[in-house]
Amino acid sequence: MEIRDLKEKIFEAGKEIGFEDMEINYISNKKFNCKVFDNSIDSYNISVEGGLSFRGVFNNKMGYSYTEKVDETSIELLLKKAKENAQVIENDDIEEIFPGSPVYEKVDIFSQEFAEVSIEEKMQLLINLSQKVKMLDKRVDKVLFNLYEDHESTRMIFNTKGLSKVEKGNIGIIYFSLLVKDSKDSKSSDILKVTRDFKDFNYEEMAKRVVDEAINLLGAEAVKSKEYPILLRNTAAASLLQTFIGAFSAENVQQGRSLLKNKLGEAIASHNITIIDNPHMKDKMASRTFDSEGVATKKCIVVEEGLLKTYLHNLKTAKKDGVTPTGHGYRNSYKGTLSIAPTNFFIETGDNEYDDLVASIKEGLIIIELEGLHAGANGISGDFSLAAKGYYVKNGKIEKPVNHITIAGNFYDLLKDVEAVGNDLDFAFPSESYVGSPSLLISKLAISGD
Amino acid sequence: MLNERLIENIITEALSTGGDFAEVFVEDKDTTSIKLLGGKVESTISGRDYGIGIRIINGFNSIYAYTNKTDAESLMKIASEAAKAIKENPKNIALNFMNETYNSIHNITKYPKNIGLSNKISVMREASDAAKKYSKEITQVTVGYLDEDQKILVANSEGKFVEDRRVRSRILIEAVAANSNEMQTGYFAPGAHKGFELFEEINVKEYAREAARIAVTMLNADLCPSGKFPVVIDNKFGGVIFHEACGHGLEATFIAKKNSVFADKIGEKVASDIVTAIDDGTIPNHWGSINIDDEGEKTRKNILIENGILKGYMIDKLNGRRMGMESTGSGRRQSYKYAPTSRMTNTYIAAGKSTPEEIIGNTENGIYAKYMGGGSVNPATGDFNFAVMEGYLIKKGKIDRPIRGATLIGNGPNILHKIDMVGTNLDYGQGMCGSVSGLIPANVGQPMIRVSEITVGGRKGE
Repeated sequence: MEIRDLKEKIFEAGKEIGFEDMEINYISNKKFNCKVFDNSIDSYNISVEGGLSFRGVFNNKMGYSYTEKVDETSIELLLKKAKENAQVIENDDIEEIFPGSPVYEKVDIFSQEFAEVSIEEKMQLLINLSQKVKMLDKRVDKVLFNLYEDHESTRMIFNTKGLSKVEKGNIGIIYFSLLVKDSKDSKSSDILKVTRDFKDFNYEEMAKRVVDEAINLLGAEAVKSKEYPILLRNTAAASLLQTFIGAFSAENVQQGRSLLKNKLGEAIASHNITIIDNPHMKDKMASRTFDSEGVATKKCIVVEEGLLKTYLHNLKTAKKDGVTPTGHGYRNSYKGTLSIAPTNFFIETGDNEYDDLVASIKEGLIIIELEGLHAGANGISGDFSLAAKGYYVKNGKIEKPVNHITIAGNFYDLLKDVEAVGNDLDFAFPSESYVGSPSLLISKLAISGD
Repeated sequence: MLNERLIENIITEALSTGGDFAEVFVEDKDTTSIKLLGGKVESTISGRDYGIGIRIINGFNSIYAYTNKTDAESLMKIASEAAKAIKENPKNIALNFMNETYNSIHNITKYPKNIGLSNKISVMREASDAAKKYSKEITQVTVGYLDEDQKILVANSEGKFVEDRRVRSRILIEAVAANSNEMQTGYFAPGAHKGFELFEEINVKEYAREAARIAVTMLNADLCPSGKFPVVIDNKFGGVIFHEACGHGLEATFIAKKNSVFADKIGEKVASDIVTAIDDGTIPNHWGSINIDDEGEKTRKNILIENGILKGYMIDKLNGRRMGMESTGSGRRQSYKYAPTSRMTNTYIAAGKSTPEEIIGNTENGIYAKYMGGGSVNPATGDFNFAVMEGYLIKKGKIDRPIRGATLIGNGPNILHKIDMVGTNLDYGQGMCGSVSGLIPANVGQPMIRVSEITVGGRKGE
């Protein structure tokens, strides 16, 4: 049965058991991925899936339920569960079904050209990459992990207030890691590329980058424990920012779980930091024209020259604060209840060349990767202490690779200690949001090593 | 769960292009999750996960397809699409299912679906109130409740046809303590392969007070010093050190392609004599336990390291082929959306001979990690990191003032040799372990142990 027909049946049955406004959210996803090993295909995965969630207002409270068995037989249970769930909600904030925004931006996040790339081309790309890295340097010992994956997904929202939105998108990802070995040491390095333009997957360039990085790290050692000026390279800075994006959510602010509470209009970062959330970037992973409540998304300046300009809102938090919603209502697939998440969220590019930033360091470290962010960084307190690797810099020159160190500090202090911003914006591993940063020069952070 | 005849047809179709093995995994799972914030029910959602995974193996190559369009036509179509990845002559494998039955070792007395939401919420409220009342410094309490009732069926071209039902319940308590300019959190999340009876057997208030106590203690803690110290890691979730530093490196996922520092080391000494480590999926009602794994193999007690000698790995069917070894009942996956691979169940360091008092008393100047946070490892190099949630300095054999922001880093194989005391107080903690085949419930465990030297990363140089 088509979703549009199923939805009518659900709304009809829902009305009968006492629901007022109702909404369904249908997300379907077609996925392909493959891995290679020893120049042939190691694994090959395909999937076609979809899930439907229902939410409805019963006695002024919103009840949620979902099913992956999307057919008529699921209607009764879906409604029964949602009604039960609505009846226990105690939070008095009003969660509403949204009739629609006056205007929606047009952003094309579905590339027909990308959708037409053949499976053979995708597999060949990965094989080429695996072969290329081995040709570049004889110290390349093995490929540790490799993956090509693409998604084609469709989001639909229909509700009884007349909203009817459909958005289709696709995206492709390559993730690749390898191990290099010499007589004394072995080191790994990885690379990630996310795009909806297949030509962006330049395997020769990717191979060179990942091999160079791993080779450069051979022989890395810990440095003496003390405070150093730190150049946090773009993707490392982005992954750190990603860990703390929750602080910008109005929900966390209202719930007393963000240290940015009462900081609107105040300086929370150094003047050279501007943070933007832009859902309308054609080539970025988290672009969307409407959020999970159907609200039109818009570009949003979150921090401007260090000053906190806004939190990220959904309808409920905006109503509570008496502000305009920012289009950041987010539900984690069809299985989640309503919360808040950024889209393409990044520190704006500065005007410093990366090499100039390195040259400006008298004695310090370049940090290229942070590990264990899910454990060693506390999203609420801002404290972090993380395993890291990178390079030791003396008089503006890279002297040696560094590992087995931890880097520790507090995210809120770090934002204020940014001395210079690079012009090399790049993005971290995608999650529900796509978070980016240029390289950041930090005045000092505590390093623990020898 | 799915018609036997249809499964037969799917497997036959899957093998039509020359695959030598095919498997159907059916999953039907009911879930409920509730969030209580500041004592009020904030959100709740319940739902049904339902879908089918089809795997085809040819030699060392594997193809995986999944869908939740489960009508016969769609299933046959996806089986046929998956099979297209192989282009050989069919191997004419005769299908003959042998329905396997067994007695579940995990007795469930109160299935979540028979318990009203209000009962679940009242347990959460008890926890929330207890944490809030602990101290004036507790400014926010979030309590999460999760239950799931997962039914699976595994059928394969070797004739396996077997089902399992896994019921799990968990409560997650997070307390935030704050003063005028800082916030710290404490967390406790007990769970088990049990129904609602779990919450009648454990005292959720005690767990809640413990979460609150951690938050308040950390709010008033000093910054952790940096450098190399002897570190005493207490029991329960402290077992995450073994899980991260070594456990992942003993999974066939990494061993089969020799992407682990522990590859080709069976029979070698990999740890100090006092270390024995085990992965046991059969402990009744434990969080990481299952009757059969997600490839239909019975779980078992696998000795990984015995008195310092590497004895075995955790192996799934596909990686077992590459290694020329049998499955150890370790094939696991988050859901039908993932192909299975070797994973941990309940993994722990066995109890030793020292009392906790002896271990602390014999440590002149070090760090005591009372509760651990999570961590991660690079299995290829063995380098790991993990966070200390609640830590203390040890001075002259006594636990001294609390410290915060400590991270422990090191190298798995090195650390194993540096375990120089193992305590008597073995206990477990519950976690969700993320890896190639998704996020799965895993128990970690150990008695108190001491590592003679480990790099501690803090914010205070010393």
